[in-house]
Amino acid sequence: MPETGSEYFENVKDTVQSFWHGLSITLSYLMRRPITTQYPDRTELEVKDTLPPRYRGFLEVDPSICTGCQACERACPISCIQITLEKDAANPKQRVVSQFDIDEAKCMFCGLCVEPCPTGSIQHSREFEGSQRSVRNLTIRWADPEHPFPVYKVPKGADYYPRAPLGALVRAKFDARPWYAPGPEYLPPEPPSAKKVEPSKPAAAKPAAADSAPKPAAAKPAAADAAPKAPDAKPAAADADAKSPPKPVVEMPADAPAASSANAPAPAPAKATTEAAPAPPATTTGPKT
Amino acid sequence: MPANYAPRYTPKLVVAITLAAAVGIPIAIFGAITVATPLLKPATLDALLPSATPAARTAAKIAGMALLGLLMVTFGAIFSGVIVWWERRIAGRMQSRIGPNRAGYQGFFVWICDAVKLVLKEELIPKDADALLFRAAPYFVLVGFALTFVVLPFGHSIIVADLNVGIFYVTSVTALVVVGILLSGWSSNSKWALFGGMRSAAQVISYEIPAGVAIFIPVAMAGSLSMQDMIRAQGGLPWEWFIFRNPAAFIAFFILFISQLAEANRTPFDLPEAESELVAGYLSEYSGFRFALFFLVEFGNIWVLSAIATTLFLGGWQIPFVSAAAIDAARGAGPLPSLAWWGWQALSVVVFGAKAFLLSNVVVWLRWTLPRIRIDQMMSLCWKYLVPAAFACFVFTLFWQLAVGVAPKIELASGIGLTAFAAVLTLLFARRVALNVREVRGDKYDFSNW
Amino acid sequence: MEKLILRRVGHTGEEMLLNFGPQHPSTHGVINFLVDTDGEVMKKAVPDVGYLHRSLEKIGEMVGYPGYMPYTDRIDYVAAMFANEGYAMAVERLLKVQAPPRALWLRAISGELCRIGSHLVSVGTMATDIGASTPLVHALREREAVNDLIEALCGARLTYNYCRIGGVAYDAPQGWRDRVLKFLDHFDSVLVEFDRLISFNEIYIRRLANVAVITREQAVDYGLVGPNLRGSGMDWDVRRDVPYGAYPNFKFKVPVGHGFRGTEGDTYDRYYVRVLEMAESSHIVRQALESMPDGEFMAKVPRKIKPEAGEAFSRVESARGEMAYYVVSDGTDKAYRIRARTGSFTAMGIIEDVSPGLMVADLVALIASLDVVAPEIDR
Repeated sequence: MPETGSEYFENVKDTVQSFWHGLSITLSYLMRRPITTQYPDRTELEVKDTLPPRYRGFLEVDPSICTGCQACERACPISCIQITLEKDAANPKQRVVSQFDIDEAKCMFCGLCVEPCPTGSIQHSREFEGSQRSVRNLTIRWADPEHPFPVYKVPKGADYYPRAPLGALVRAKFDARPWYAPGPEYLPPEPPSAKKVEPSKPAAAKPAAADSAPKPAAAKPAAADAAPKAPDAKPAAADADAKSPPKPVVEMPADAPAASSANAPAPAPAKATTEAAPAPPATTTGPKT
Repeated sequence: MPANYAPRYTPKLVVAITLAAAVGIPIAIFGAITVATPLLKPATLDALLPSATPAARTAAKIAGMALLGLLMVTFGAIFSGVIVWWERRIAGRMQSRIGPNRAGYQGFFVWICDAVKLVLKEELIPKDADALLFRAAPYFVLVGFALTFVVLPFGHSIIVADLNVGIFYVTSVTALVVVGILLSGWSSNSKWALFGGMRSAAQVISYEIPAGVAIFIPVAMAGSLSMQDMIRAQGGLPWEWFIFRNPAAFIAFFILFISQLAEANRTPFDLPEAESELVAGYLSEYSGFRFALFFLVEFGNIWVLSAIATTLFLGGWQIPFVSAAAIDAARGAGPLPSLAWWGWQALSVVVFGAKAFLLSNVVVWLRWTLPRIRIDQMMSLCWKYLVPAAFACFVFTLFWQLAVGVAPKIELASGIGLTAFAAVLTLLFARRVALNVREVRGDKYDFSNW
Repeated sequence: MEKLILRRVGHTGEEMLLNFGPQHPSTHGVINFLVDTDGEVMKKAVPDVGYLHRSLEKIGEMVGYPGYMPYTDRIDYVAAMFANEGYAMAVERLLKVQAPPRALWLRAISGELCRIGSHLVSVGTMATDIGASTPLVHALREREAVNDLIEALCGARLTYNYCRIGGVAYDAPQGWRDRVLKFLDHFDSVLVEFDRLISFNEIYIRRLANVAVITREQAVDYGLVGPNLRGSGMDWDVRRDVPYGAYPNFKFKVPVGHGFRGTEGDTYDRYYVRVLEMAESSHIVRQALESMPDGEFMAKVPRKIKPEAGEAFSRVESARGEMAYYVVSDGTDKAYRIRARTGSFTAMGIIEDVSPGLMVADLVALIASLDVVAPEIDR
């Protein structure tokens, strides 16, 4: 509220002056280039090629140089990496990695796993385009339990480790199926009593389906072995309508994630067992500390 | 890894359709108004149908009036839509970003998409709301808006009805908007909506005073309340416009402009509406088509206020170097006017449209530059600054008109002097704009990235 | 809980009790305010916090010391570098390890850039709350540039995880220094233009001057920190008064509010102090880039961080004021207790006592001027 006449005219003068400046600035912006990047289809280069080299995108593992040291799993503060090492059935001296799941949905892209990796197998790629309809499809399985990969033996005095081009592998994983592909149904940990189930294939499929009748049976890799018998268990597993029942899950390509999240029980070794009963619950619960 | 990536721009078909629409729609609506309005006047209809019975003639006249009314409302609606798109693009570029540019080439169809979306939305009426008033409120606002189009002079003879109380009619009819706002605030059955509605109504009513007084000035200078008379009292060249012919009119233009902004609830005076960000404003319970009506009126009001300001102060449809009398003379004696006359009509519509569009851009520009004024500051602005200034201008004009009666040359002197002043201000402003770009290190003129 | 708050608000049933939030465009995060008002003028506004509580301090007891660093980013994700730095300093004190000079310089540079980014958000959102939406977009445009710089440095734009216990994660990449200088040249001129656009706009000044005055005594009593405290006239800055890191090597002014356009301690003071601080930060970054020492950017720290039992306290001047970390170790590789004291939490307390007599539009200005971010309040 102006008290005096001079303040009154001061106010008017200040207002006009500040408007003059403000309006001239906005008008001048009409003539400058907007900084919008018209992603994704009107940029000169693909955006992912314009990102800096240290950009922390999706994690990518090159299994061919993974030494199975589990340093990344220990370093991860949010337990999104799940690794299982086993002895190769054929050659007990050789260790193989039968499970290397990274839950990209849980990952907080901190980069703490990249630092301790001795060979640079796990890296942050520059991929950021990986939206999926089902969050469970964001768990990328870098090791196929059916065909676990052997750990890499670091050659003496090696000064570099031959790695696939950064981003190629994770891009292939995401491109392997469409974004709207349905995710695996959730398989809860089996109760202890279920472990006594007879390892006969149709019967195994049926208790699994019956046990998890309120929740449809998951398409686990182990259950994948039972899948050829799926038509038998069809009535019970019919509500596993995520996939059309006759199609055996085991036919999925090797590099596509086949099962549920990192909380899934560690799959049994590739051959033989058709137990739908999973490994003991200890490996199903959360963070390994 | 190499990717076959190349940028993909709008397909040519979409570009063609959008350009056709963007050029065609304004031409169609302006053309329809230009052609239909003189033809559907009662006098012309009488001359065109000499052998019809009186009853048929009356029916034709009524049909003509209805058609004109429909055309005007359509114009209002189309303008609201197009200005929505235009405002969003301008706002975008003022903010270093692109506005909507995907729905059609350069995003032209975004207003159609908005309209369709609003029409398809569910219309909720709160349980305890007064249903009849709730439903009626948007229509009061719409009627108050649409009725002003009756006297808007689009061109030399392009006016639906040249009432001899033209501008007075406009002032009285826009008061219906206040009724609509109060009704919507009351019937929403929310204490906050009521407060918001009352505050907005207080704002609109308060700003009618300086607007009304500022309107007296061109009325006094023209000696008539009729819109066409006021324009004919001006001329096409800038120093013949009322705004420059009288120093008080120069100030009155700004008073009128500010008051009309406040009446239209545009920033910087949109606290009652933006209050709906904070708490419920008078619009909060509306959804769907009713909400669309409120917003149609808000954006359409930009045109109305620009048109009124153009008519009163900026010379309306007057074409430079062409006098209104000359166009009258070009009409010819037959029932239908001559082709030259139609040409002049079209040109006058273009002049009027350009001036009003320029003012609309100023309205949009102000919205995206200035912050909001608080309600008590708004009232203080009105009563302490605008009303005294408006009255001072009015008194000055009375004396000025007396002086002009004695020595007509002072009007020309004032006209040329103020025009020069305005030209200098414009040049200074342009220089300031250019300096802005130069002063920021790393910025330059760049019209790319649409 | 509801009854407790209602009792505090003193709601008598005559006025309106309004829930301002938790979903609201103007509350800078997920905060709820219970506003007792008779339409225009408020009787009281009581904040109701906790909507963004994520147990970050409890998580500190489960992940190890190095693993907690990304969680500190999320304590205040608008200005994450300071949280990183404070935590790293606290654990370094526990470990009795000193980060090498180059690391301290890099922390200072990235911290000041982060401060610029955070103040841009604060200043821009304040302008938007007052009604001018253009300055926000301009401010965010500059913040994008800051984010690009930090992305080139550490790989992320918001949650940096850049500091490590004992130093920083990466050295500055090739050409980064020149990019920063180019940005600063551009930014200094943009700041002048920004001032002309909004800070000196008469309507804006009228909205903010003499509104919600917080006196110096009140500010100190309520424990306000940072620009809120300096806006009320108290000349206190942790960088200068309790120097840490590389700050003893830089000369910088500390802007203090003195009633730039109204009274000392009003909203305009707090706002303008932030604008001035941005200019000072730019100055500090230039000095730091000039004088950056060479050398290691990470000290020798054991592979498994297991400090001796003890406690450590560290303070940094974050964008929102003094952020303090109190880390207690019990000798194992997981912390016993990590406590982060943030500036926004105490700023919530003063809203209740400054709000009587304000209009609702002014409440928005008050909250914006205190620059509260919800994650800092609730952690």
